Amino acid sequence: MPIILNATIAAYFLAVAIPLHAQKPPEAVDLSSFPAQAIDDVLVPVPSEIFIVLDKLGNPNWRSELRDSLGRQSGNRAQVALLLGTVIAEGFVAVEAEDPEKVKDIGRRVLTLSKAINVEKAVLERSKSITDKAEVKDWISVRKEFDGALQDVKAAMQELGDDDLAQLVSVGGWIRGTEVLTSIIRKNYTADSAELLHQPALVNFFTKKLDSLSNKRLAEDDLVERIRKLLAAITPLLGNGEGEVIPSENVTRIHKMTRDTVAAISSKGA
Amino acid sequence: MKKALLFLMALLIGATSWAYVDDALSFAYEAASPYVKKGFNVREDAWGGDLGVKDQQAVQAQLFKGNEYWFCLGTDVKGAVLSVSVYDSKGNIVNVETTRAGRLSAVRVEPPRTGTYYAIVTVHKSPKERTGWALVYAYK
Repeated sequence: MPIILNATIAAYFLAVAIPLHAQKPPEAVDLSSFPAQAIDDVLVPVPSEIFIVLDKLGNPNWRSELRDSLGRQSGNRAQVALLLGTVIAEGFVAVEAEDPEKVKDIGRRVLTLSKAINVEKAVLERSKSITDKAEVKDWISVRKEFDGALQDVKAAMQELGDDDLAQLVSVGGWIRGTEVLTSIIRKNYTADSAELLHQPALVNFFTKKLDSLSNKRLAEDDLVERIRKLLAAITPLLGNGEGEVIPSENVTRIHKMTRDTVAAISSKGA
Repeated sequence: MKKALLFLMALLIGATSWAYVDDALSFAYEAASPYVKKGFNVREDAWGGDLGVKDQQAVQAQLFKGNEYWFCLGTDVKGAVLSVSVYDSKGNIVNVETTRAGRLSAVRVEPPRTGTYYAIVTVHKSPKERTGWALVYAYK
């Protein structure tokens, strides 16, 4: 069925949809009673989920957050996967900056890095689409294509039995996203903007994944070890409880740590 | 021979599971499509699986205060009734608006705090023993 027709049908059904009186959900649940297997892992948010909140809170200078260089790749698969994550995150920054040339450059780089780890086919169409949509400045679609590229790369890696590598792409993207987030917050600190850093489930998820890498070579990689230490150091700085104020000193420290780690990832390793 | 047959059966079962998750995912994206027109970005990533009647599955989500979210649920089983509700880390409901039509359900959330939330999927009734489901979310 064509997508437009599907969308029309969905719009019709939702237009006539009724509130769920019949199955009114409980006002509170005991989450501790859920068995572990009945709780799925967190989905890693894409950087734009956070960036659009920053747009609402102020008027960040996104262009000044863009890096001149997208880094150098080595023959180390862990480094390439982490670098790929940082480059895709850069794509989201370039979308916010509405910089078509940078977006196209990033789209090409995503393709090159994907080729280095044998998942080029998965992002070929996405890369072309990123270029086409950046050309006409369709930023909503470009944002969607970067999200899609991230999922396609990870799915292709998982298909090749490289689930470990897929996790590193996510981690790389999160670190670069956090570097940009903290850079913007510290320039115009408010408790509301700093609250965006309160991401305990994500840090816990990444820590768990890096501690359980099945590939011994990846598990013992210097960069991976460096990121384990980064996550351990960041955890106490992100605020323990919901609504707890994250002070500006913490923002500056997280920024420095993530900036140094991105630099290490981008310069052929630690 | 026996091993080969077992392998083939495993492949077939695997293919069937993927098929119904894929179908459920199509419905989840359908549930999300009206919100795209309202400026929401639908994530490409998704959760999914299958549940028995009265079973529940919780999925963790990192939500950001200042954003608005729609969690959109789809199922491949005609006649099944499923719902999704979102709770904060203390277990308090944060649903703002809920809709359901046929195989599609959706809930809107405006997180009061940045942090971890739990979207709980429930199968209320179904003509099948196991009901495939998929959940996507959209944000703006």
